[in-house]
Amino acid sequence: MPADLTPVRIADDVIEFQVETSRQAQTLARELRSAEMAEDVVAGLDRVAIRFAPARATQVEAWLAGIRSISVEDKIDLPVVEIPVQYGGAFGPDLASICAAMDLSEDAFIALHAEAEHLVEMIGFTPGFSYISGLPDTFEIPRLGTPRPRVPAGSIGISAAFTGIYALAGPGGWPLIGRTQETLFDPDAAESFLLHPGQRVKFKAV
Amino acid sequence: MLRILKAGLQSTLQGAPRIGHRHLGIPYAGPADPLSMALANRLVGNTDEATCVEITFGGFEAELETDCSVAITGAVGHLSVSGAERAPHSTWHLRKGDKIKVDPPHVGARTYLAIRLGFKADELFGSRSTYLPAAFGGYEGRALQAGDVLASNGAAMVSETLQTPDKLRPTFTHAFALRTCLSSESELLAPESHAALFGETFTAGRQATRMGVSLEGHPLSVASDGTMKSAPVFPGTIQCPPSGTPIVLLSDAQTTGGYPRIASIARCDRHLLGQIRPGDQVTLLHRTHEAALIEFAEKQAMLDKWLLRDG
Repeated sequence: MPADLTPVRIADDVIEFQVETSRQAQTLARELRSAEMAEDVVAGLDRVAIRFAPARATQVEAWLAGIRSISVEDKIDLPVVEIPVQYGGAFGPDLASICAAMDLSEDAFIALHAEAEHLVEMIGFTPGFSYISGLPDTFEIPRLGTPRPRVPAGSIGISAAFTGIYALAGPGGWPLIGRTQETLFDPDAAESFLLHPGQRVKFKAV
Repeated sequence: MLRILKAGLQSTLQGAPRIGHRHLGIPYAGPADPLSMALANRLVGNTDEATCVEITFGGFEAELETDCSVAITGAVGHLSVSGAERAPHSTWHLRKGDKIKVDPPHVGARTYLAIRLGFKADELFGSRSTYLPAAFGGYEGRALQAGDVLASNGAAMVSETLQTPDKLRPTFTHAFALRTCLSSESELLAPESHAALFGETFTAGRQATRMGVSLEGHPLSVASDGTMKSAPVFPGTIQCPPSGTPIVLLSDAQTTGGYPRIASIARCDRHLLGQIRPGDQVTLLHRTHEAALIEFAEKQAMLDKWLLRDG
């Protein structure tokens, strides 16, 4: 846990805290969001930004200046979600080139990916897009030079050592290794998105 | 009740932004120029965020299937109704069968068409605004096409004929001066790049979308080792990727990004971002965070005397 939290102004209507881990960021963000003082509270991997209505600036500044530490980290006890994946081929058009660059066989890569237990670190970028850790830290898979204008919902990509899942169709710059047929987004459900920060994930080759 | 005859380059339904869901990765969407949309709504007696058509670079034609009051603001070239020229910023009382034509503007990028009580649109996460990249909100989550028929929330005539007061009418040129504050990674700018950011005139890049506008002509150097972790961004954030060409984010801004956030357009001037055309000149005027908020409050106070606010 950081020694102390310091609010930093990053726009006239946005204040940000820096923390050390995504888990701290998620915990702090949830706590600040529950106070209902802000327009939006957004966690990055090691930041939490608070955008506020300008009319409340003085009030919000005083509130955030009083936040010195993160309360006890939430015990996240969400069930492990198993995600069936069709790896490679048309579903994962970049799997072959990723494996070639790493001098791994596709089977070896799939085994590595499917054996690890992964963790959703953050949701961000586009609706429901999940940043998931679990691959070896030594992985440094680069993003595509030119993003694809549209990747299908359920597409699974890799960037650095993160796995990313596109909950909705949209533009995408991560090289794709596969796709899942799971429903990741259901606008009519009480919880619209299948995955949440802090959730553990297992991938299963199908 | 409004049949689209020509949709132009990109016309979408936009209303209130989708505030409060960025932690789910859900961008705000909403009008690229919220002030112009609010002014259009006022002329037909609506509150500022009733759902309007946002038209990009004109080329739009539509036919009314109901008697209705209509208003048009934002970037305007030649406007006409059934062949007769009309002025922007005033309430038009139109009849069934009238054809509205919005020609391409010469300056500015986006035009707003409001009707009494607003258009019907798909609601998701508390907003009706279209978010094109994920295809939700608005009209089936997509840009309007010829043949679409937009439904209203009970469109009707208003009794008043209003005109936007002169002093509240934004005028657009090919040069934008935008008040701008420092941000989280401003200190990563080399001193001469910091000076260039606030001293040079940038040219808006060819990709001027609802997501972002690049500021070209003066590449900046940022002391970033490329290991920055994904961090929150908002409309108004100026990111600087390794190429050195800064990108200003607009209404459809993604919720997080991995490039240094070198500055942020002040809230008081963010509405202008939606009117920048490729090739326009952009200069950034440095303001402290405190000064920028005072200037926002002054602008709001002036607008509050005219606009009808929702809540």
